[in-house]
Amino acid sequence: MSDRLIDALGTYCPVPIALAARAASSLHPGAVIELLADDPLIEVDLPAWCHDAGHDLLQLEREGREYRALVSCWPARSAPQ
Amino acid sequence: MSAYLDHAAGTPLDPRVRAAAAPFLAEVFASPSGVHDAARRPAEAMDAARVSVGALIGAPADEIIFTSSPTEARNLAVKGLLRANRALGGRIVTTRVEHPATLAACRTATRDAGEVVEVGVDPEGRVSPHELASAVDDATALVAVAHGQGEIGAVQEIAALVDAARARRQEVRVFVDATETAGLIPVDAGVLGADALALGGPAMGAPAWCGALWVRPGARLHPLIEGGLQEAGKRAGAECLPAIVAMGAAADLARAEMGARLATMRPLTERLMSGVLAVPDVRLNGPREGRLPGHVQVSVGGVEGESLTLALALRGVAASPGSACTAHAGKAAPALEAIGLQPPWTRSAVLMTLRWTTTPDEVDAAIAAFSEAVPALRAMSPVGVRGA
Repeated sequence: MSDRLIDALGTYCPVPIALAARAASSLHPGAVIELLADDPLIEVDLPAWCHDAGHDLLQLEREGREYRALVSCWPARSAPQ
Repeated sequence: MSAYLDHAAGTPLDPRVRAAAAPFLAEVFASPSGVHDAARRPAEAMDAARVSVGALIGAPADEIIFTSSPTEARNLAVKGLLRANRALGGRIVTTRVEHPATLAACRTATRDAGEVVEVGVDPEGRVSPHELASAVDDATALVAVAHGQGEIGAVQEIAALVDAARARRQEVRVFVDATETAGLIPVDAGVLGADALALGGPAMGAPAWCGALWVRPGARLHPLIEGGLQEAGKRAGAECLPAIVAMGAAADLARAEMGARLATMRPLTERLMSGVLAVPDVRLNGPREGRLPGHVQVSVGGVEGESLTLALALRGVAASPGSACTAHAGKAAPALEAIGLQPPWTRSAVLMTLRWTTTPDEVDAAIAAFSEAVPALRAMSPVGVRGA
């Protein structure tokens, strides 16, 4: 169960990543974003963005022409100190 | 005395709506996407408008997509939902009394693959839940139905229709065109149970050049206009801030004043309806009850609808031919054919729509003009055609 569902179907990079980034900025650390997309570039862009921004890519699966990803936002910030 | 009774096509802006939108045609000019100070006010205004429009239908702000018109909202819903849900099938079930924009979008969306099935209506323009459900099959991805029918005024029992369609196929997507109802009568997205609702300006007292689409999270939607990040990627292009702000202000007022507006319109509508029906050989199209507020469409024996509209205009009364879209092509309105009318009744319709700003004097002027124009036109008719 995700905290936010982002329907990026029919949009092309960088829109899916930008939508995910916008959502992450409004969510608490540890929150999970579910991203639906169908731009194949998501296979490259999403892992790269997660790495750069400090998110954890929990899952990126492809079914036909569509992708479903789960991203944990800033998990390090939510971890106990 | 003149009378303006074409409010469904365009309605005067409430001064409060105009005041809210005016700065966005003047000193507030920046793009709401900017990161500078000048972007703050447009961004906040757009956020507030989204909250207001969502509140009108009981939906969260982030589920609202602003469009340039109700027609764009209808197109986005039909084409976007079908394209994103092709896995469900390529078939659309709709009705014979949909807005031309919905019907055209359905035909375009299925042009390369799939089909459109149009369900009929009863003589008052109502869709039967049973007939709708019977048309849904395992290849049906989308059901598209209007809440309020703009020509004949019938208001559908949407929740029953949605339930019936879903009972036949649980995962089918349902688009409801609420452009004629949201803002005029209570519309609750949760209660209706649809996946998407199209909203329009005039019903809530906003300009005709603004619209919106509510989409349930998870319904899956492809954009119609692609490009940037605006409207969560579902409607790219620079936002029309004056329209969006006007729609937000109008939505707030509609929510606060709906009861009073309906109380004002109800007796005026009844007075107009009774007045024009008192003229011999005039019939009301659509239901008497369960009708859009302020909506009176009649067919007039022995008179062409366009001629009557012009005759009313010459007497200072603004009305509309039964179906502006089809009248220009010299064709009968599909909705009138759908309720079983035959020529000449299908070509003799005139539509009068009033709002809470309409005065009793305007209604009386319209009745007087109608009562004078109809026999005058009949007397001029070279063929003396009478209604059935």
